[in-house]
Amino acid sequence: MGNRLAGIFWSLLFLAVPVLGVATFVVGPLYDIWLPKDVSVHGRSIDSLFYFILVLTGVVFVVTEVLLFWFLWKYDAARPNPVAAFIHGSHTLEVVWTIIPAATLLFLSIYQMNTWADVKMRRPRIPPTVEVVARQFEWRLRYPGRDGELGTPDDLFLVNDLHVPVDEEVLVQLKSMDVLHSFFLPNLRIKQDAVPGMKTPVWFKATEVGQYDIVCAELCGWGHYKMKGRITVDTREDYERWLEEIEARQEATQPEPVAEVAGQ
Amino acid sequence: MSAPALSLPHGDGHDHAHGHDDGHGHHGHVTLQYQPGLPLSRGKLIMWLFLSTEIMFFAALLGSYVVLRFGSPVWPLPHHVHLSEPIGAFNTFVLICSSVTIVLALEAARADKAPQAKLWMLLTLLLGTLFLGVKAYEYSAKFSHGIYPWSPRSRVFEKPDLYYGSAVRARLGEPAIIDKLKELDDTPADKLTSEQVAARGRLQQIRKMVTNPDQQPFDLAVIADQVMPLPSAGSHGHSSGLNDAFPWLRLPAVIPGGNMWASTYFLLTGFHAIHVGVGLLVFAILLGYRLDHARAGMIENAGLYWHFVDLVWIFLFPLLYLF
Amino acid sequence: MSTVHSPSTGTTVSPTDHGHAVAVGGRAPRSSRQVAEFLSTYVFSKDHKVIGLQFLFSTLLWFLIGGLLALAVRWQIAWPWSQVPVLGKLFAQEGGQMAPEFYTMLFTMHATVMIFLVIIPILAGAFGNFLIPLMIGADDMAFPTLNMLSYWFMWPAFLCFGASFFVEGGAASGGWTSYPPLSTNVAASPGSGMGQTLWLLGLTFVGVSSMLGSVNYMTTIILMRAPGMTMFRLPMTIWAMFITAVLQAFALPVLTAAGFMQLSDRMLGTGFFNPEGNVVNNLLTSTGGGHPILWQHLFWFYSHPAVYIMILPAMGMVSDILTVFARKPLFGYRPMVYSIAGIAGLGFIVWGHHMFVSGMNPALGITFMVSTMMIALPSAVKTFNWLGTLWGGKIQFTTAMLFAVSFVSMFIIGGLSGIFMAATPVDIFIHDTYFIVAHFHYVLFAGTAMGVWAGIYYWFPKMFGRLMNEFWGKVHFFLTFVFLNGTFFTMHILGAVGFPRRLADAYHYETFHHLQPLNAFMTWCAIGMVATQIIFAVNFVWSMFYGPVAGRNPWNANTLEWTAPSPPGHGNFDFQPIVHRGPYEYSVPGCEKDHLMQTDPPDARAAALASAH
Ligand code: HEA
Ligand code: HEA
Ligand code: CUA
Ligand SMILES: [Cu+2]
Repeated sequence: MGNRLAGIFWSLLFLAVPVLGVATFVVGPLYDIWLPKDVSVHGRSIDSLFYFILVLTGVVFVVTEVLLFWFLWKYDAARPNPVAAFIHGSHTLEVVWTIIPAATLLFLSIYQMNTWADVKMRRPRIPPTVEVVARQFEWRLRYPGRDGELGTPDDLFLVNDLHVPVDEEVLVQLKSMDVLHSFFLPNLRIKQDAVPGMKTPVWFKATEVGQYDIVCAELCGWGHYKMKGRITVDTREDYERWLEEIEARQEATQPEPVAEVAGQ
Repeated sequence: MSAPALSLPHGDGHDHAHGHDDGHGHHGHVTLQYQPGLPLSRGKLIMWLFLSTEIMFFAALLGSYVVLRFGSPVWPLPHHVHLSEPIGAFNTFVLICSSVTIVLALEAARADKAPQAKLWMLLTLLLGTLFLGVKAYEYSAKFSHGIYPWSPRSRVFEKPDLYYGSAVRARLGEPAIIDKLKELDDTPADKLTSEQVAARGRLQQIRKMVTNPDQQPFDLAVIADQVMPLPSAGSHGHSSGLNDAFPWLRLPAVIPGGNMWASTYFLLTGFHAIHVGVGLLVFAILLGYRLDHARAGMIENAGLYWHFVDLVWIFLFPLLYLF
Repeated sequence: MSTVHSPSTGTTVSPTDHGHAVAVGGRAPRSSRQVAEFLSTYVFSKDHKVIGLQFLFSTLLWFLIGGLLALAVRWQIAWPWSQVPVLGKLFAQEGGQMAPEFYTMLFTMHATVMIFLVIIPILAGAFGNFLIPLMIGADDMAFPTLNMLSYWFMWPAFLCFGASFFVEGGAASGGWTSYPPLSTNVAASPGSGMGQTLWLLGLTFVGVSSMLGSVNYMTTIILMRAPGMTMFRLPMTIWAMFITAVLQAFALPVLTAAGFMQLSDRMLGTGFFNPEGNVVNNLLTSTGGGHPILWQHLFWFYSHPAVYIMILPAMGMVSDILTVFARKPLFGYRPMVYSIAGIAGLGFIVWGHHMFVSGMNPALGITFMVSTMMIALPSAVKTFNWLGTLWGGKIQFTTAMLFAVSFVSMFIIGGLSGIFMAATPVDIFIHDTYFIVAHFHYVLFAGTAMGVWAGIYYWFPKMFGRLMNEFWGKVHFFLTFVFLNGTFFTMHILGAVGFPRRLADAYHYETFHHLQPLNAFMTWCAIGMVATQIIFAVNFVWSMFYGPVAGRNPWNANTLEWTAPSPPGHGNFDFQPIVHRGPYEYSVPGCEKDHLMQTDPPDARAAALASAH
């Protein structure tokens, strides 16, 4: 039935899936279409998990897709004298291909728990470095000021311009004033939704000085796409200097209009 | 796999099973025979399946109630929101009775005693109506205290804050209320109960306080307590506030957690009441038929549904009234 | 619906005979009696086949709309703020360019249309309706009137969703997930006004329709199987439909309840999903005390099972089609059944994987992660069994087969990307990026939609009595397959950069500014993909009238529907079907035909061979 060329053509088309699939993941990084530069401690373990899963699923992907190709190629009805096997299944195989993935996935689940706990559960016992209040469509920041305590008159207020010291544990207290937003730092592999009515702690340790994007990653209305902030990772000295600068600027322009809304 | 132990007239159908189509000779359609998987009629099975979707529906509502209630920092006591356990218990009793009468209707119908079945059915309908009547009375009691499920018109405030103060002032400034208040001021004391006389005095004080711009800062909590005193956990006695003395007054009240309570209360009881209503509709339709043996299946299905509605209430009553 | 047609010339079905339900001449009805007859036959028909086709036509039309909405979405992503061809004029926006709120509306409605008006109703509504009675040997559904209602309840939904484009503020624009407070506060976004209310109403009607359908399907499958059709002789399609119906029945009411709560938050001012003292757009929301996250739990409690509602029927159909064209029994029938049930069961306890970074308790995240990983096991069983079915077969490369094989190939990709997201720490980074978009288009479009096409090409002869054109079918397959991978595979690496979804323009971020060319490539592919569907549409309509006439069993398949006339008349069967074996007896050794139909008499030799296994 049919001609052999058709079978060859279609099976090769299915072979193209794993070939081009893998190629995409090879070529992507060459054009810098790949994980953005990681500048945090958590990022490292998240990335290594990503690679681990990439390899694992990559192997499964290639094996299953090549098998698919091979069966299409080999068992084409257009080959001379084809005979279909009259087989209803195999218990042994069934058990094998349930247990192997089960073991793999169970291992994976357990293996990653530690990273998850580090990023979301083991909150460092330090006072908040900064309070981030999301609002349509900006990030309102509030630094504790000299006394190191939020909610006091010497708090410093800023919008969209987050500074943190390098190589130090940073604790962000995340809030939202109106709708859901999500505090996304691609380079620090941090993402956390800001939920109105909740205070959510977010912590990280940046490892490299520089300026990076803050992206809002939860749909929050028409201006969602432009809810952009900057995070600047400074050395301790630069950070102190910057704080002083802000303090001076804020004193000059009292009363700070932002204070009334963000300060609650 | 075993071959079926069935020998049915095969007809000549097998001729068709070979992938060709001779296309003639089979007029009309055959009445097909089936191999049912369960010893249930179609109507009963689909009713059970429908009820299981209903279970999930109420499970979602009850689940939300539990989450919202136990996630709330405060939750009003039944008395804060004018829930009366005896009334609730009475209604529970009514509903349980109606579940019994529908069973009796079914029994009668099965025994081909149509008039008797109709009687029981009528009684079920009446009991259901009574339930809704009591529910309506309870709702109106909430409404009269300014507790609505919807907020813009709601007169429930979470705390005696500035918003509350201005709401009281606004209410007292409504023209209709001003007229009523004048009328009240002019009513001779002997036309009022002694309680009302005392309440009138307190009301006059409050009016002075909130409407006089020069008034020293005053305690909104005190006003709130006058309008609608919240009995403490232990006290069962319901000391009457201004809103109780003069129901037309409907001053805003302070009930911490009251809004969320109202939202969930009306949601749960409202959907339950709609289900009761649908049941009553079905009973009313059934009453139009002769309820003999032939209708037993219908009555049974209606009864299943009714038991389910009853069961939901059995969950709602303790959750809403007792805890 | 007057397009429903049967082979009237050179036909093998005599028109006085089984013709009444589906067959019709193209004449316009004249007298009022004819009008009434026309209405009861084609419009308010209670025949499951007509209802199935009504579902099919409606959903295909919506598919087109959903596809065009997708193109508009793609246009903006590739060339932000540039003039949109056609659509820009239609919606008369400044200089034909898209407003950002319009963009949010586009993808919200794209997803809504695709999920609620295309995939769910085409699987359960169109295929479920058409196939269930035919494949189990019943003359119709258990409750034909209810069945008709389940179709007609779609119409208010069509109208609500359709009308919402034209109300003030436009259609819903809170994403298809409709997270509050964005969706509950009218002030939060233009689409959160009337559009959102209509969205919720539409959703409720879809819900009622699905509920009516699902209880009916379950009853039919349980009570109306032909003699001899035991549960474990049911074809996989029917098993999948059955378990899908169970999922619908148990998950959907939760969404309905949540929908009512959101509706009441919006219209009555309750505060189920609004926290205390929330200020949106400088307006204090009236009532508070609720939890925004509660909605997410309720929504995903439905919508995760819903993603399996959107793939299980396709899995069932693909299993059947693979066996037919591999001329081989299904590998591991019972494990296939159990794994569907397993997927459905596990599907109820994994919803939290959509909420890893939502602010939900992170300890809960761990339990959801484990259950999510476990759902890959039944999926693995299915995948390997499909491969096992092909292995050692005698494969015929028909169009239906190509689509079915591509379903397997693509589902593997979509499923494996799910593993990345199930891993909580990795999901922190890829959540709400194009990695997710890649994942669900692979399972939903590359998976389910390809399965649907396989089903259409395969059952078309049963539906209309004629075959679709194979050559153009293959062209359609080839181009769709190539373009879809061009569009969606690249989304994985886009997601690896962290490219966020639902952004009208992300290129002003330093991290993403270099990704425009890749996006333009994807958009070209998407345009090609939608354009390719013209081939399909023409082939479909043309074949309905002029395709080669198909006999009862053009594919030499085993299941019951192929013993009925094509198209089947009212009552489906012109004889009493009696089932003697399972549905997958292909290439039985020593049997002169290469297949034994379920109704073939238990000839001693064949029976002996069949039971030997
Ligand atoms: C038909 C639809 C469908 C299907 C079948 C699936 C299947 C799966 N999905 Fe998907 N999913 C969606 C539709 C679907 N999903 C949609 C629409 C969204 C986004 C909604 C939105 O936010 O708008 C989503 C989002 C989504 C998320 C949330 C991501 C986020 O927002 O951050 C997650 C996280 O865990 C997830 C996981 C999975 C998993 C583990 C499976 C598994 O069932 C997959 C199992 C299959 C396989 C794994 C492949 C075959 C198996 C093998 C070849 C065996 C060997 C494998 C291994 C050993 C690894 N999905
Ligand atoms: C079943 C579901 C489904 C399907 C089929 C599709 C199909 C497509 N989707 Fe969709 N999409 C979603 C579900 C789906 N999508 C969801 C759930 C979201 C998330 C929304 C959100 O964030 O809230 C989304 C979001 C989404 C985005 C992300 C937007 C963003 O986050 O900013 C993009 C971007 O590229 C996209 C593109 C496409 C494209 C190009 C197609 C193409 O494959 C479309 C191809 C269309 C066709 C091929 C039409 C064919 C027409 C016919 C066959 C009709 C023939 C007619 C007759 C016979 C009469 N989709
Ligand atoms: Cu803020 Cu999106
Ligand atoms: Cu999911």
